Amino acid sequence: MECPNIEGRLSEYAERSLPPEEMAQVAEHLHACSSCSTLLEEMRIILLTCKSFPSLDLDVNLLERILLRTSGRPRTRTWREKLNEYIVRPLLTPRFAVGAVLSLLFISLTVTLVRPRVPVVASLVSPTEWIHRLDRGVQGIYAEGLRAYDKKNEWQAQFTFLKNNVFHKLGFMIEQLDVPVQTNGKQKSGEPRQQQDKNPGQKSSMLLLPT
Amino acid sequence: MLSSDERLVERCLHGDDSAWEGIVNTYGRRIYNLSYRYSSRTDEAEDLTQEIFIRVYQNLKSFRTDAGSFHNWILKVGRNLIIDRYRQARRFQQSAGTEEMETMNLKDDKVPNPQRAAEQAEAARFLREGLQKLSPELKEAIILRDLEGMPYQEIASLLSIPEGTVKSRINRGRLELAKLLSKRRVQMGS
Repeated sequence: MECPNIEGRLSEYAERSLPPEEMAQVAEHLHACSSCSTLLEEMRIILLTCKSFPSLDLDVNLLERILLRTSGRPRTRTWREKLNEYIVRPLLTPRFAVGAVLSLLFISLTVTLVRPRVPVVASLVSPTEWIHRLDRGVQGIYAEGLRAYDKKNEWQAQFTFLKNNVFHKLGFMIEQLDVPVQTNGKQKSGEPRQQQDKNPGQKSSMLLLPT
Repeated sequence: MLSSDERLVERCLHGDDSAWEGIVNTYGRRIYNLSYRYSSRTDEAEDLTQEIFIRVYQNLKSFRTDAGSFHNWILKVGRNLIIDRYRQARRFQQSAGTEEMETMNLKDDKVPNPQRAAEQAEAARFLREGLQKLSPELKEAIILRDLEGMPYQEIASLLSIPEGTVKSRINRGRLELAKLLSKRRVQMGS
């Protein structure tokens, strides 16, 4: 084979798509011809360069323009883009930076002023403290109840004592007074007399009580 | 049985805007890179991408599932528009060699170090410059085969030419680029 014939098959030889017989013939020629083998080498470099040729990414703004000019509808944002658009990007603006600094100043000032009262405020809002307070309240009510019950018992005991004492004294007085009356056979009134008549031996203390 | 693309097209034709957004999301990058391969300029590639999608949107009703896949159809619409533009304004020749280095915005983030990145950028620049020196047919064949990675059959269908012609154009394009590279090395060595 001559060089022009080989050049016509060089591309397919580089791709190994020639029939085996032709592959052998081309290989034989290349072994003998330095210019053709150099050409093949350069062609392989070209193919490698083509494979590593840069592939560009499509700009989202271009995508947006295409959609607006065709369907008229803006591009659908992914959740990451939405996060970036509505949260991350605003966070990186100077306006937000100024706002953040002012907020920090306000918070630090508030903390400085409120800090001495923090334990009091914390105790007011603490659930544990509320439970303790409730417990103390219940205990106080129970203690008051016990005290009232003791007082009642005390009063009851005093009353009982007094009552017993009075009755005892009265009984004693009655006993002292309730002695047999020595009558001289004179009748003072009708009814007692009749009773005395009926039970001449019975004692009547009622009659002896002072009027 | 409709493919996912065809279902998207159907929904789009019924007025579902989210389906159209799905199509743009799916093919936007591909069309943008195709435009960039042809024009070698990002601003022109953006304009082309926008115009291609407007044309696709306007002609979506003309897509027929029995005539081929939607993937091929949209690439054909894109390629035709790019070629029309090329023929009308000869923009690619005018812009040849004026492209800024596209070191930013690259997809390939597996670059191990700055030296390797610089080598890749240099190779990419050579390829861009070399492509501008090729005839439009050879350039197109190289773009579709070696940069877009399309199979021969698909290229033949897209360009409406026989597969043998595609192979021939690709071989000639590669040979010209290889010779340009060889000449460049000689110049750098001397």
